[in-house]
Amino acid sequence: MGIDIAHYHGWNGKLHSPWWGSLSIVRVAMLQVFRRKSYWVVIGLGVLIFILYWSLIYIMTQFEMGARTQTDVFRIFGFSPVPTEDMDNGYVIFMQRESIAVMILLAFSGSLLVGTDFRMGSLTFYLSRRIDRVQYIVGKLLAVSTVVAMMTVLPALVLYVEYGLFTSSTAYWRQNWKLPIAVLSYGAVLCAVLSIWLVTLAAYLQRMAPIAITWSSLFVMCGQLSTFLRESSDNRDWDLLDPWRCMRLVGKLCFGTWQHPGEETRALWALLLLATTCALALAALVRRVRAVEVVT
Amino acid sequence: MQLVDIHQVSRSYGPIRALQDVTLSLEPGTIGLVGNNGAGKSTLLKILLGLLPPDTGGGTILGFDICRAARDLRGRVGYMPEAAALVPILKGVEYVTLSGDLYGMPHRDAKRRAHEVLNYVGLGELRYRRLEEYSAGNVQRLKLAAALVHDPQLLLLDEPTNGLDPAGRQSMLRLIDDLISETGKSLILCTHLLGDVERLCEQVVVIDRGTVIRSGTMTDLRQRIANRFELAWQEPEQGRGYREALTAAGVRFTSSFDEPRATVVVPDDWTTRRFFAVAGEVGAVITRLMPEEEDLSRVFFRVTDAGAPAPIVDPPTQDVAHGN
Repeated sequence: MGIDIAHYHGWNGKLHSPWWGSLSIVRVAMLQVFRRKSYWVVIGLGVLIFILYWSLIYIMTQFEMGARTQTDVFRIFGFSPVPTEDMDNGYVIFMQRESIAVMILLAFSGSLLVGTDFRMGSLTFYLSRRIDRVQYIVGKLLAVSTVVAMMTVLPALVLYVEYGLFTSSTAYWRQNWKLPIAVLSYGAVLCAVLSIWLVTLAAYLQRMAPIAITWSSLFVMCGQLSTFLRESSDNRDWDLLDPWRCMRLVGKLCFGTWQHPGEETRALWALLLLATTCALALAALVRRVRAVEVVT
Repeated sequence: MQLVDIHQVSRSYGPIRALQDVTLSLEPGTIGLVGNNGAGKSTLLKILLGLLPPDTGGGTILGFDICRAARDLRGRVGYMPEAAALVPILKGVEYVTLSGDLYGMPHRDAKRRAHEVLNYVGLGELRYRRLEEYSAGNVQRLKLAAALVHDPQLLLLDEPTNGLDPAGRQSMLRLIDDLISETGKSLILCTHLLGDVERLCEQVVVIDRGTVIRSGTMTDLRQRIANRFELAWQEPEQGRGYREALTAAGVRFTSSFDEPRATVVVPDDWTTRRFFAVAGEVGAVITRLMPEEEDLSRVFFRVTDAGAPAPIVDPPTQDVAHGN
């Protein structure tokens, strides 16, 4: 018997909790990002960095070489499979390298993921369904967080697993169990801060060019200014001006190793700074996504 | 159960009053919501959708309290927005599936229903195309499919024929008409195009400057003009006696030109036979006597011009610090 497509058929199912709607927003956001071919250039950059580190670990573990040589080669790439006094958690450093690709990808995708909802009236589409603005905001934050996590946390954990596998012993995982927790902590900070900042920025600026310029300026110019002020005044407190360093310091609060005196105090200040800016951004975002704007 | 039952609903945006003491009681069926720009239609829509709580007053839609059960209410309402409201890069079937997901349908059901309703609205062949490739007419059909996906009891369509050419408009109206006839769903149609309302709706709500100035069935609204007639007559020697005699009997002439034909408004106790009686008295011969058929646009202009309350400034549409 064929399907009757000429007549209307009803549906009698039960509706789920609207929180499932947030997950649908994430799923659709992934489709949007990964279907746009131009984004694959940036994603490719991230994949290249991952392959570089993956190959490095493979070579270091599979070829016979002295411990000193191994350490030197790792140092060239700024990677350390175990935290040492002068080298940070290598996986976190890898994530920072990936953050460059993440920053560029988010600068371009912010408009697509969030800006168009305001510019093309898609916010009407979302909020006139069964979800409220809380679920909408959570969905968008999760969507950006997923992009960040897929390009930073996930490959970092893969590298950790790879190193343990290639050393043919579980000793590495047992002795360095704090490393993945540090990766997850830093990843959580990255996801939370980047998603809140980006979604808020995109909700207000909406178009790609202003978002990309502002987003890049925020990270590049603040970073440069921070470095300049720190070097000219020889005061590491200026690190707090750099969003990346702030996020790294906060990430270090969970199982990180402190390299410089006063770093722990600065990490607490960084936490306060990031929490404040995120709270302000969230308040601005909630204000923006008002139901009163739904039907215009 | 009443479809819409709201009492004394008011809503202001800061100092600007968008809705003022709106009371509506509407039976299930097809309802046209008409009004000029800034009349308060959008604010009323937001309240009907449960997106905006009223400052005062309250009520129910489909039995759901508009303040306390807004989410459940939206689960029973299919809303088709006026704006494009598309999600870039998605395909048609993904967009409708997303709509089902956001309504809370299980994903598998949403996907299956998306295929069904896209077939029903005539987009079966185009369902795998990206939204950017859809024509204006197909976008409207797609939005209708997205509103239908969870099989709502009430369809709330905001300007469904906006931006369509005449053929596209007719096609869309036919689709909505067929849908309503086949399913018996209730419809609230918000539009500037009064012809659409005449074609689809049994009941009309006319809103102007924040207040409902007429509400009732199309027949009711037309009954209000049952005392209007188109009249033509002949008099010996081009006299004006018949016009003067009718005026003396309480008949009002709405047209002022000095010709032996006019549109007249008769008193409530007037009977048609009196036209002939008065004509006999002055020796006039009636050549045409027809109850005037007023279309909705004439009703609209008449009621919005008459008895208007004090002007209220148009509500803003963005960046207003109120929400739910």
